[in-house]
Amino acid sequence: MTVSNAVDQFTMLTGDRSKIKDLLCSRLTECGWRDEVRLLCRSILLEKGSNNSFTVEQLVSEVTPKARTLVPDAVKKELLMKIRTILTENENEDDDDDEVEEQEDEP
Amino acid sequence: MSETGCRHYQSYLKEHSYDTFRVIDAYFAACVNRDAREKKAIHCNCFECGSYGIQLYACLHCIYFGCRGAHITSHLRSKKHNVALELSHGTLYCYACRDFIYDARSREYALINRKLEAKDLQKSLGWQPWIPTAKETNLLLANARRRLVRPNQTIGLRGLLNLGATCFMNCIVQALVHTPLLSDYFMSDRHECGSKSSHKCLVCEVSRLFQEFYSGSRSPLSLHRLLHLIWNHAKHLAGYEQQDAHEFFIATLDVLHRHCVKAKSEHESKSNSSSSGSGGTNSSSSSSSHCYGQCNCIIDQIFTGMLQSDVVCQACNGVSTTFDPFWDISLDLGETTTHGGVTPKTLIDCLERYTRAEHLGSAAKIKCSTCKSYQESTKKFSLRTLPSVVSFHLKRFEHSALIDRKISSFIQFPVEFDMTPFMSEKKNAYGDFRFSLYAVVNHEGTIDTGHYTAYVRHQKDTWVKCDDHLITMASLKQVLDSEGYLLFYHKNVLEYE
Repeated sequence: MTVSNAVDQFTMLTGDRSKIKDLLCSRLTECGWRDEVRLLCRSILLEKGSNNSFTVEQLVSEVTPKARTLVPDAVKKELLMKIRTILTENENEDDDDDEVEEQEDEP
Repeated sequence: MSETGCRHYQSYLKEHSYDTFRVIDAYFAACVNRDAREKKAIHCNCFECGSYGIQLYACLHCIYFGCRGAHITSHLRSKKHNVALELSHGTLYCYACRDFIYDARSREYALINRKLEAKDLQKSLGWQPWIPTAKETNLLLANARRRLVRPNQTIGLRGLLNLGATCFMNCIVQALVHTPLLSDYFMSDRHECGSKSSHKCLVCEVSRLFQEFYSGSRSPLSLHRLLHLIWNHAKHLAGYEQQDAHEFFIATLDVLHRHCVKAKSEHESKSNSSSSGSGGTNSSSSSSSHCYGQCNCIIDQIFTGMLQSDVVCQACNGVSTTFDPFWDISLDLGETTTHGGVTPKTLIDCLERYTRAEHLGSAAKIKCSTCKSYQESTKKFSLRTLPSVVSFHLKRFEHSALIDRKISSFIQFPVEFDMTPFMSEKKNAYGDFRFSLYAVVNHEGTIDTGHYTAYVRHQKDTWVKCDDHLITMASLKQVLDSEGYLLFYHKNVLEYE
């Protein structure tokens, strides 16, 4: 199994994936990315939306590369740090399984 | 207008019902419990390439997961299946329409799953857009005139008359009225008073006050009714002399909290009796009892936090932890007795001192619950949970057996402020504890006589000074250069449940 798949599986299992996703969503909203992408979609639709065969896939494929470049570096960096913290923390806890058990019993 | 998806989804539902959608959403999109997360981690990868994918789709006709794009579409095309569920956001997709579809009932089921997930992971529910109720829609239609709040508008600002040394009340009312969450609550008319004598209810009075502040009138208000209610419900504040603004603030929160609980229980018993028609004697007596810190009234939702105190036995290192609810944090400003007599210079200094482990000394031995003997111990405070509004009380008035004095030393306080270092669980990687200053109450004068004023944030980056009936523009520098007695901070990012 590749490392990336293992990380995917692990973060899904612990629920961290869902929390990371929430964090990313709120950061993207805070920094105005969401509004920018919304405007981007709007302007593309105004330009091409009159053509009835324009599908959501076409819109997504057109918006995605631009939207990706709009994500601020600070957000990427913060998320990377968070993921790194989560993975290293787990590494330490794996060495001492009893401790993990105890912590999970707490309400 | 209700959303019913597309005709392909409607015919899919006739054949398969909602069951498949509900199960797939609960297990692979929302992951409502540990079992679901385990199943997702093991089984939920692309049947074509094995990847866990940036964005996976689940076919709702058969068992198939596929990556966005070619993998899922080739499956849907070859099997002539139409409906798939996008798993990172839980959105329905129709291949025949080549579009995402929205169905009201599916969205209701999805919301239930999201709530279960948030509860299981102890996290905040994602932000949901506001959907007006039928009553609200009618109100909006009946009142077609909208008011646009522009910068430099004075709506929401009213001076308050001094009724004879009542500036302690005026400055607290200004701070409360400018608390964003509180104004949201009252401006949306959320207080439902079951009490027949609503003129005795302080919450109703504050509700009326908000209407007055936003009525557009610019003449100063008189708070005689509010003052009278406080006198009746917090006897220690009754009288014509100057009171302490901090004491008034806490007393006001306490009375508001009690009246919220009372109004709620009376409102419930009233609606119970009208629905059952049998007197409504079953209204729980527990809800009317004083349940400080545990009830869900607006005051507790906004102002109540939880303080953790860890007492560590010096003999066996056993820790006993207790939790106490708090409405504000009172900070010492005098010289520290240990660490070489340092005086704090900033709010952060004060908080570091507040959360530092303190040696209780040999005169205050405590029975340790672990080693069952009286031992010396250390005590350390930390913040378990933070309220949406954190208020700091700088203890400028020192009362001791020898002397009563006011400490006027300058304490620097920030506009934006991250509370993470003072939390009990620093490991919690997801908590967002950033706060912004929105009100400062100042005391000018000596311990015996003086005057209270308040700086409040009127709009983003716009500050005003409230000095009884006078409202004047203020700069941020003026606010930060002021002495500061009570400091009010508002959480930047709110959590939902």
